[in-house]
Amino acid sequence: MRLFLAVILCKALRFIGGLIGKGSSLPGQFALKVCPDALGRVRLPAHIIAVTGSNGKTSTVEMIAAILTASGKRVVYNKEGSNQIEGVATLILSNCTLGGRVKGDVLLLESDERYARHTFQWFHPTHFVITNLYRDQLTRNGHPEWVYDAVKAAIHPDTTLVLNADDPLVSCFARGHDPDKVKWFGLDECSVSTKEHHGVYHDGARCPVCKGRMEYSCYHYAHIGHYACPHCGHRRHDADFSVTALDLEGGTLTINGETRISLAFKSIYNVYNILAAWSVCALAGADKGTMAGVINNYILKNGRMITFTLGKHHGTLLTSKHENSVAYDTNLAYIAATGKPCTVLVIVDAISRKYFTGETSWLWDIDFDRLNAPHIGRVMLYGKYCNDLAVRFKYSQVPADKIDMGGDIREAAALLADHGDEDVYVVTCFSDRDKLLEHVARR
Amino acid sequence: MEFTILHLYPDCMSLYGEYANLAVLRRHLAAMGVSVTVETALFEDTPPFDRADFIYMGAGTERTQKAALAALLPHKEALRAAVDRGAVALFTGNAMELLGKSITEEESGKVWPCLGLADFTTEEVVYQVQGDVVARTSLWGSFVVGFMNKRSETYGVTTPLFGLVERGPGNAGDGGPEEGYVDGNVFATHLTGPILVKNPDFVDFLIRRIFELKGWALPEALPVLPYEREAYAVTLKELADQDADNPPGPYLQG
Ligand SMILES: [Zn+2]
Repeated sequence: MRLFLAVILCKALRFIGGLIGKGSSLPGQFALKVCPDALGRVRLPAHIIAVTGSNGKTSTVEMIAAILTASGKRVVYNKEGSNQIEGVATLILSNCTLGGRVKGDVLLLESDERYARHTFQWFHPTHFVITNLYRDQLTRNGHPEWVYDAVKAAIHPDTTLVLNADDPLVSCFARGHDPDKVKWFGLDECSVSTKEHHGVYHDGARCPVCKGRMEYSCYHYAHIGHYACPHCGHRRHDADFSVTALDLEGGTLTINGETRISLAFKSIYNVYNILAAWSVCALAGADKGTMAGVINNYILKNGRMITFTLGKHHGTLLTSKHENSVAYDTNLAYIAATGKPCTVLVIVDAISRKYFTGETSWLWDIDFDRLNAPHIGRVMLYGKYCNDLAVRFKYSQVPADKIDMGGDIREAAALLADHGDEDVYVVTCFSDRDKLLEHVARR
Repeated sequence: MEFTILHLYPDCMSLYGEYANLAVLRRHLAAMGVSVTVETALFEDTPPFDRADFIYMGAGTERTQKAALAALLPHKEALRAAVDRGAVALFTGNAMELLGKSITEEESGKVWPCLGLADFTTEEVVYQVQGDVVARTSLWGSFVVGFMNKRSETYGVTTPLFGLVERGPGNAGDGGPEEGYVDGNVFATHLTGPILVKNPDFVDFLIRRIFELKGWALPEALPVLPYEREAYAVTLKELADQDADNPPGPYLQG
């Protein structure tokens, strides 16, 4: 009866919320008050897929949803990215019959790394995809080993883990887990692989198990690659799902030596998102033809790349995440690869949109040296923390005469509106991007 | 004027961009005509304490910190001798905990004996002790700004580096009135990351101390490098604005 009431309440609040455009976790929050164990009482679909990790969760979830939907399955998933227990409760209860059965073949959840434990105390995923663990919002989340411990506590012995074999910390989740219930995905040594580590810091320098010096036969990016610890034996596991060939410039990859995929977005991170989605969808019974059909030239609709005009400039805003150096490095690499004369505008104004902090240590983790390229004529540093940026850039390889430091974002917009016609790339966070976008014409 | 910095375990005790502390110190010293060499030691090495003028270690994960402890313990007498000879030591983040007597794990209760250069003890906790910090010190005139991010509480410090925490956590966690540790030329703070970048007066203080210990003549004015003081002022003002309506702020008027 309480479950029935919780479902009704959740649906009603969700309907009202939809009308007034309010957040997606409130209905679940109230429903859980009415029936605290509602998530343990509902009847869930045969497949419950959860995705977690520092970067790429949302993109991977979107891709999985698209593939499984194309495979004829009814997928219930949290599109709105509300990934804590209240949001998950909203999703599940508002997709329930009044009898408490979830109407779908697959429940697909983007799961917050830190709160997975709370969500999965009531039910557990049949498949748990863990994409990567790196430094992400350390002020809030803490360091990757804290996140590791939090996710580890959420793992049920019956769950099949779908793990990134190339991440030495993520690989540790297999330790103590039934080996038959671990599936691996990874990237073979290929055109993007390097023998040397690239980046400002190296979180794979030490083995996560014994803290001995890790050895890598190749790196794909950051601490992601092929590693083996000579001290304790922790090493990259052979992958069940592999990208066996990759031509990032040409925009193609091959999975398990047989399926060729065209990339709409030519980034190594997209390669891993595709591979993660492919792996879990294959495990959920999708066939190769359908998967390839969906992923081929798959364009993400998450709005992280926004094009605009400002004066005579063609602009592209690449949404990074403050306090996440990997997200920044992704976008800096993208700009460095364009090769066309351009200006780069970096904005750090409010470090988070959800909480206040003045913490700027993360600027030192970003590989700004990537902007030291002949086609990048000017780097503009704006926002409240432009001085911190300017100090950071004095320790980068970007020549001082290419740096333009200002304060107010409006000034940056006015400057660009009045001068020049080169391409402009804007690198900033969700928290700051509208402060620039209000001055531009979206394309 | 020659100066040797020893960076302990930079491959992994570097969780929050700590390398910037040495980069900024090096650049300030270079601006004063000092020729700086930076040496590094990994866990597998015998740290060259005998030729170090400045010894630095930053923060790591708790598990890495224990590995750093295991690596450093066999060399603690050499570290002590270097400090006694006049080398400056700066340990930031949870590297500070290594200087004390012990670290006690929360769940297992396991006690890790530490270097014992200081009298304090550390207890790990299950919650995150974090937040922007503003503090005062008697060593220089301006407020200290920084960020703390730990899962531990440190007790028994009788000579804190920052005597009064105006905002944020201190040694004993939330509400701790003091932060860090100082004894002669040994400096420690649990503030993470590029604490010297954020606090130009801390750099100047260290430079004065270094020149004094080395017996070098101090110029009348220390170099001011661009944007550092402006960045500090913005951070302090932002924090003060946050606290304008909350006790114990606003410390800018205090
Ligand atoms: Zn190992």
